[in-house]
Amino acid sequence: MHDWHAYVREQSPELDDRVVQELAGHLEDVYSDLRASGLTQAEAIRRAERRVGGWLELRRGIQAARQEEAMQERVKQFWLPSLVTLVLGWGILTILICAGVQPFMTRPGRADGLYVYWPWVLALPFVGALGAYLSRRAEMRGWKVYVAGAFPVVAIAVVFLLILPWSFIADHQVVPALKLSGFAAGMVSWVLLPGIALCLGIALQGMRRFHSTNV
Amino acid sequence: MIRTELKRGTAELAILSVLECGPLHGYEIGRRIEEQSDGALHFTLAALYPLLYRMEHRGWLKAEWETGTNGKRRRCYQLTAKGKKGLAPLRAEWADLFRALRRVAKVSHA
Repeated sequence: MHDWHAYVREQSPELDDRVVQELAGHLEDVYSDLRASGLTQAEAIRRAERRVGGWLELRRGIQAARQEEAMQERVKQFWLPSLVTLVLGWGILTILICAGVQPFMTRPGRADGLYVYWPWVLALPFVGALGAYLSRRAEMRGWKVYVAGAFPVVAIAVVFLLILPWSFIADHQVVPALKLSGFAAGMVSWVLLPGIALCLGIALQGMRRFHSTNV
Repeated sequence: MIRTELKRGTAELAILSVLECGPLHGYEIGRRIEEQSDGALHFTLAALYPLLYRMEHRGWLKAEWETGTNGKRRRCYQLTAKGKKGLAPLRAEWADLFRALRRVAKVSHA
């Protein structure tokens, strides 16, 4: 009996075991039918091998299908929830600012004071929960759900981290200590507090999901 | 591009149609299509499996390993509710296309 598993593995070492097993099973069935129709072993093997239709084409086809899958998965599980939370999170803040809502300030007029829009922070758990819901619904698990749900602050944290070193290089007017305290206050106001609010929503959504699954 | 899409579309319709009768593994899907089309539609592994994986991922098909009476393990594909739902409009689209082609190209059997 021809070893079709070894043949497929030899032709396409990069294919995963599940695919190799499936293709080998297919070729084995083709071969068995050809033998049953009266062909010699050598001729049945030759014809069965021709049914592949090109190993390169097969590998590329499977790879393309897998890439398409992976891309769709990433969009559904991560990028779509991230976009929703980003637009909604910053959209709510924009609406509040346009409506004339004033922020709470610990040191008005100073860069190193806290600057918090409480109605916004209070709305963020719902935004985080929505992002987590979308991400978990698409079968995403673990820390990536938190990144997607808290994407508005992830984005702003990246901006802050890019601005700080740049300010040290480009701006010599402000003393470094003030820059650092302003940076710390900014991180607390725009990343830490909103981040906690978003993560609270993500965690609560996870607990609710866990509870409803158990019930 | 159009040729590729056209081929993929016909192949998808053929696969969904043979699976309407029940779960089948890859070889059996290809064999049934070939039989029912009197040899006109013929699948190589390179054409069949990427398509099956795509359709599975899209949620039209569900696949499970099963052990046959001969003891061989095969991955059997079956239509999902989404696949069943998608088959009727797909059939209607192809029927429209064949009617249009018949009118334009004066082909009696498209």
